Amino acid sequence: MKKIFVLAFSLFLLQMSKGQLTINFVMSATPPSAITSWNDKKEVLSLFVSPAQGIQLTYKIKTEIKLSDGTVIGRTDLARAATYTAASTNTVYYAGDVIPLENMIFTGKYKTGLERTGKLLSDNYQLCVSLVRPTDYSPVADEKCRSFYLASLQLPILIKPSNEEVLDAAVANQVIIFRWSPVVPRQTLPVRYRLNVMEVLDHQSAMQAFRSNQPLLSTEIRGTTQYNWQVQGIINCCSTPLPGDTIIVPIQSASPATLAAGSFKKYVWTIQTLDQQGRALGDGNINGDGVSEPAIFYVSKHSK
Amino acid sequence: MRKKNQSLVLLMLLSTMASAQTTAPKIKVSGTMGVNYEGYGLNRNPAGWTGFSQRKPWNQVRFNFQPTITTPKWSLPFNFNFATTPTNAFGPFANIGKQNIGQYISNPMNNFAVNPTYKWAEIQLGTQYLNYSNLSTGDIGIFGAGVDLKPGKFRVKFFKGISQQGINFFSGGPNGSYKRKNWMAQLGVEREGKYELSFNFAKGKDDVNSITSPPPGLKAQEGFTLSMVTKINFTKGWYMNVEGAQSLYTKDLAQPLTNLIKSFKPFLEARSSTVKDYAGEGMIGRKSKDFDIGLKVKYLGAGFQTVGYPFLQPDRIDYTVNTRFNAFKNKTNVTASIGQRVNNVSNTSLRAKQFIGNLNWFSQIDDHWSVNINYNNFGFQSNSGINPYGIKNVSNDLGINPTYTWSNEKMIHLLSLSYNYSKYDERDVLTGLITSNNTHTALLTYVPTYLQKDMTPDFTVMYFLNKLPGFKTTLLTLSSGLSMPAAKKKLQLRGQLQYTFSKNNSFTGNNNFIASCSIDCKMNKKLTWTNYLATNYFKYGNEIIPNGANYLESNFRTGLQYRFGK
Repeated sequence: MKKIFVLAFSLFLLQMSKGQLTINFVMSATPPSAITSWNDKKEVLSLFVSPAQGIQLTYKIKTEIKLSDGTVIGRTDLARAATYTAASTNTVYYAGDVIPLENMIFTGKYKTGLERTGKLLSDNYQLCVSLVRPTDYSPVADEKCRSFYLASLQLPILIKPSNEEVLDAAVANQVIIFRWSPVVPRQTLPVRYRLNVMEVLDHQSAMQAFRSNQPLLSTEIRGTTQYNWQVQGIINCCSTPLPGDTIIVPIQSASPATLAAGSFKKYVWTIQTLDQQGRALGDGNINGDGVSEPAIFYVSKHSK
Repeated sequence: MRKKNQSLVLLMLLSTMASAQTTAPKIKVSGTMGVNYEGYGLNRNPAGWTGFSQRKPWNQVRFNFQPTITTPKWSLPFNFNFATTPTNAFGPFANIGKQNIGQYISNPMNNFAVNPTYKWAEIQLGTQYLNYSNLSTGDIGIFGAGVDLKPGKFRVKFFKGISQQGINFFSGGPNGSYKRKNWMAQLGVEREGKYELSFNFAKGKDDVNSITSPPPGLKAQEGFTLSMVTKINFTKGWYMNVEGAQSLYTKDLAQPLTNLIKSFKPFLEARSSTVKDYAGEGMIGRKSKDFDIGLKVKYLGAGFQTVGYPFLQPDRIDYTVNTRFNAFKNKTNVTASIGQRVNNVSNTSLRAKQFIGNLNWFSQIDDHWSVNINYNNFGFQSNSGINPYGIKNVSNDLGINPTYTWSNEKMIHLLSLSYNYSKYDERDVLTGLITSNNTHTALLTYVPTYLQKDMTPDFTVMYFLNKLPGFKTTLLTLSSGLSMPAAKKKLQLRGQLQYTFSKNNSFTGNNNFIASCSIDCKMNKKLTWTNYLATNYFKYGNEIIPNGANYLESNFRTGLQYRFGK
């Protein structure tokens, strides 16, 4: 009887010690695929640790990233993980604390992929978090898991006018059709595409013009990936051939290299992709401004 | 006004200096310099209506000073281009008001560069847009100093400077940025037109302490890229270009150092936000007078990022075959390309494929007739992911353009008809329904050229129809231009009138009238005065509220351009 009592009391203590802290966490179901950027975004993950009830307790955050079949592909290296002291009030941790990449161990292709790209492969995952003692890694809080889906976001690709395309001034002075691919994957809410066109002045490179000139066109398009720009004279290229000029008919057969100096105008255009709130979409690209790789087009009518 | 007067005085002073210099027999001055003013006006009616936005700065003055002073041993080219009003829309300078001197100099709208050259040695000072290779650096302007040395077959390049200034962010003000210091280097051998082997290095690092108020979401970054370029030109026009590159890029310098990712010391020490990936590009082909063919392949790994090409979209592979040939005694010219671009290469479930196909066929049938046919196809397709259907967008363009010319003793006539049919299909990823956006464009051009007179008129009529479910746009444009010399050919006059009627669905039509003229005056052998004036009046029908809204846009440019040398 005494043994049974001791055993029951031990189990009770064990249960008590395991449950000394309670945790809860919220996580975005579709966080950015660039796991390296999670730390910047508090909305991705928040872990709440309840206050300790009058006891001195230290703990480490144990995190595991699993595939939907339960295979662990990444976990915290507990030996190197930071040690925290339980506070008397609620404590909130974010992605940088819960998934400290410098202390995470990933396996196989996930490790390689993360090193190369800062992203995990597109798939369904589970993030499981618990708190453990720093000494023997025994749990001090129940494990909590959340599922999430990662999909690498791909900004639009400019389709028309294609890069370095030469447009016939007779048409381009009236209307120019712009087309681009949609953002992939399709977002839950419709995205806002901002189409910008800048003139490249004689002494400028295309990138210089893109970064410094006021857009001749800056308009927002929702729900479609084509825009017909009624130019209304702002391009006004090469209206009349001068005597001695050779008229290239049609200009489509010309390449930028065959255009004589002064017989054409050069433009750079791009799409900036924004979410419903006007924030730039992007997935860890250098600029983080949702701007697709710009393309150049020429407007010309004749060469010398 | 005071600024403009100063500019004119400066211009005259420099032209006097230049004239004096040209008298010295061993010193030559070539190149140009000038000043341009551009004014923009916009009147919108009724008052308070904001349906049309300003498209140019109200006032802008641009200066260019690009003389090259040459002696038997030295060459000293200047490249100064600068403007008075910042107009940046993207990047750190967007919305900037007053700039300090450092910001003004490094603003991409301004260029201050001097490149003194002695035989094979060039010193690069000021703002330089240096293109070392397609995968290392080439898209950014850096203000700094460096060298480009070409002793014999050896190539040594180095440049160090600042690509962006530290600009504090504040709401409603500039976008802001960390100060970024860059350096780049190239070591190689080259025999022009025969071969090239070079190693390129490009580094950029943000100064974490350069600003007190960083832009939201923007982290201090660091990147290093190493690439190797090989170019070989074989006999009979065959060529091969190959470049392989590796990049290390730290997306957040605030993240701790790590041993889990291999560093590349002393160039970059890895942090937990560092990614390391590869890229490669290869071209092989043959060029000749009547026949070109080439194969091009480009791969950019998902984590490949370089400070030298900040807008490069990674995670893709594309390959294209291009050809060009002339036939029938050069009376037929064909250019074509076919290829595919795969995006999201690393992401098998959302891999997107883009088909690219272009064909342009031009034939001069006889002395009177020529015809051009062009066809473009761009198809974009991605897997469905979590949606029932994948994205599928297909763009098809077919253009046919016959031209007829005839002449007599007094005139040459040119009549050209251009018809283009453009179809753009978009599939909805939830319903699978395909929306077709169809566009027809027809353009008729007539250009009579008088053989015994100097005037050259032209006339065009254009019809444009764009239809998609629930929406239809029609445009009809009539346009005519005239150019002619005057005042003993010292003046070159050009004028153009254009009227466009446009209509959306069943709304009443919009009317647009555009008039423009340019007057170029050759004041003497070296000085040219150019002027341009355009006005654009647009009146809406009842498609927007308030009905009948209209605007008058005007654009005026005037400039003096001086040419150095004889």
